Amino acid sequence: MAYFLELLVNGALTGLMYSLVALGIVLIYKSAGVPNLAQGAMVMLSAYFIWMFTAMAGMPIFVSIGLAVVAMFAFGLLAERLLLRKMVGQPIIMIVMLTLGLEIFLRGVGPGFLGAAPKSLDLGIPLTPIIVGDVFINRDYLIGGIVAVVLIGLSLLFFRTRIGTKLRAVSDDHVSSWSVGISVERAIGISWGLAGISAVAAGALWGSVQGVDWTLSALLFPAIAVVILGGLDSIIGVLVAGLIVGILGSVIPGYVDPIVGGGTRNVVTSLIILFTIMLRPHGIFGREDIERV
Amino acid sequence: MRGLFKGLIGTVAAAALTVTGTAKTDDDTIKFALLQDFTAVYTFVTDEYNQGQRDYLTLINEEGGIDGYTFQALVRDTGNEPQRGLEAYNRARREGAVLVDFLSTPVSRAAVSRVLRDEIVMITVLHGRGDASDGTTFPYVFPMMATYWSQAAVLADHIEQNEDGLEGKRIAHVYIDSPFGREPVPVMQELAERKGFEYRTFAYPSPGTEQSATWSDVRRYRPDYVMIWGAGGGQPVSVREAIRNGIAPERILSVVWMAETDARTVGTDVATGLKRFEAVATGTDYPIMERIMETVIEPGLGTGDSENVGTTYYNIGVASMAVSVEAARLALEEYGGPLTGEKLRDGFRMIEDYDAEGMMPPLTFSEEDHQGGGFGRISQWNGEAWEPVTDWYASYQDIVWEEIEKDAAGFREGR
Repeated sequence: MAYFLELLVNGALTGLMYSLVALGIVLIYKSAGVPNLAQGAMVMLSAYFIWMFTAMAGMPIFVSIGLAVVAMFAFGLLAERLLLRKMVGQPIIMIVMLTLGLEIFLRGVGPGFLGAAPKSLDLGIPLTPIIVGDVFINRDYLIGGIVAVVLIGLSLLFFRTRIGTKLRAVSDDHVSSWSVGISVERAIGISWGLAGISAVAAGALWGSVQGVDWTLSALLFPAIAVVILGGLDSIIGVLVAGLIVGILGSVIPGYVDPIVGGGTRNVVTSLIILFTIMLRPHGIFGREDIERV
Repeated sequence: MRGLFKGLIGTVAAAALTVTGTAKTDDDTIKFALLQDFTAVYTFVTDEYNQGQRDYLTLINEEGGIDGYTFQALVRDTGNEPQRGLEAYNRARREGAVLVDFLSTPVSRAAVSRVLRDEIVMITVLHGRGDASDGTTFPYVFPMMATYWSQAAVLADHIEQNEDGLEGKRIAHVYIDSPFGREPVPVMQELAERKGFEYRTFAYPSPGTEQSATWSDVRRYRPDYVMIWGAGGGQPVSVREAIRNGIAPERILSVVWMAETDARTVGTDVATGLKRFEAVATGTDYPIMERIMETVIEPGLGTGDSENVGTTYYNIGVASMAVSVEAARLALEEYGGPLTGEKLRDGFRMIEDYDAEGMMPPLTFSEEDHQGGGFGRISQWNGEAWEPVTDWYASYQDIVWEEIEKDAAGFREGR
């Protein structure tokens, strides 16, 4: 039982860490209507920024994280200005391809300029686990989970503000938003900036666990499972789906891997994506758009 | 990558010099093709490894070369893709390369039949197929250093020495779920049967970012020792999870892919006591490294960040070229120039007890043995650096060679 509980708790916390990556994708989709496949590389880029400010400029880690937030917000605005703005009105598939191109570009450029060897990032989180009964809880993931819940809460509140309402309007219809005086470009820029902030949180936490290198961009895969299951436009979906993906990805391999020799977690994640798309394409909490044809 | 850019600029400059006639002619240049993965999977090692290789070749050139011959590194990125690797290989072959190093298991595997046909030496330092140690089956392939089988044998032997025997002990083998991660399994299973210890495997999915479920299971197994078999970002995650689950660093033994940066990611103090297999010494307190500092780095002829000089992967790169240049020297001494792949292969086979001036275990190759003896040693993280805790030694080579011969027979039979 203790084993099951440990898999459950650590899985849930890991899932919340995936939610941090997924949150960026949802923030952009909810505001701009663009499924951003560059979010994994944005997480990687954020971690590189933090490392640069810490190791190269000698700044304290939390100052570096703050500066990385600024840098990534600016990156988001620039991405909108230089790339996305030119795509307004273009077929969505081309915008998706653009974000995929951005993902590949960033994955090459970051390690290209800073060296491909992994860099270390120390957030000062103690390695000793929190022990409850016979259950060991990972402090990194616990803190990551708390940060994820806080950021998801803030995002929910943000979309109740005046700017948030404008972003939702932009997501619904660019042309109508323009017609009522909303700056679509600015709204999309803000959404990319917000995704940059969530990328910093994910980059700092995952970077401290595994080091900073291109493999951080591989977090896109579980994050995609989270947004598909939760719904591309649902912030609550990010929270719930993150928990489900994390728990299933921990509990099932925990019992099945010893029997089959390993490797089932990626299978579980893939099955979540496949079954969700087949059974409920808009996810658990996603909005089902019905178009009159 | 910065190193790669500099290398490419250097290559262009060298080509320009050739055109103007101020450089040495092609006949006086021995070309080594370093066609490696700078951008995909092996990025955790390639920069430093390649930097060490090129700095060593620069050292030899600055010291006057060998019998009037100088060395040129042909550096290209393969992105760990066999197609790109083979394309780069064909180009390098046309340019006259006599040695190729892909530092990538998939690319090396794809290139085996080509190098055997073209009679070009391929070195597969700490990667590639272990059965290529069988020189009669793979005459142009040189693993050169201990295969993963030999590494597992040395690690098991170290536990045996520490515990006065392996009987009744529990060893957990935690690995990235890939052929590389599973490679030591047959050797460890055979050892477990022979020595009477309990051995269990635990896999985690690639790239190893998240391993908590695996380690919860490992903790319940209550192992006496844990062998970790991964590379890159997965390695510090393994060590952190092991320590978090109550396994003392002294009882964690790693495959060769564990470097300074991994220890820093774990935490320099937290990782203290961690052990690893070491194929080449680290640091700069060796004659070759001192000469590199004096002749290459200080005059500004180095190819990358000087901070990397003396690190684990830099030194492995240096050693790989030191052995290759020694083979070239012996071949030229025996047969004279120009150097061909066939002569170079024979040069490798003439190497006896070569230790790169104390940087590595004494290597001896032969027509049969292209591994060089399977030597290594155990080093331990002391909070600041990797410190050797044993001499160089090889273990259970009888078991290792059973595996080599079994797999080599499979290759011969087209399996």
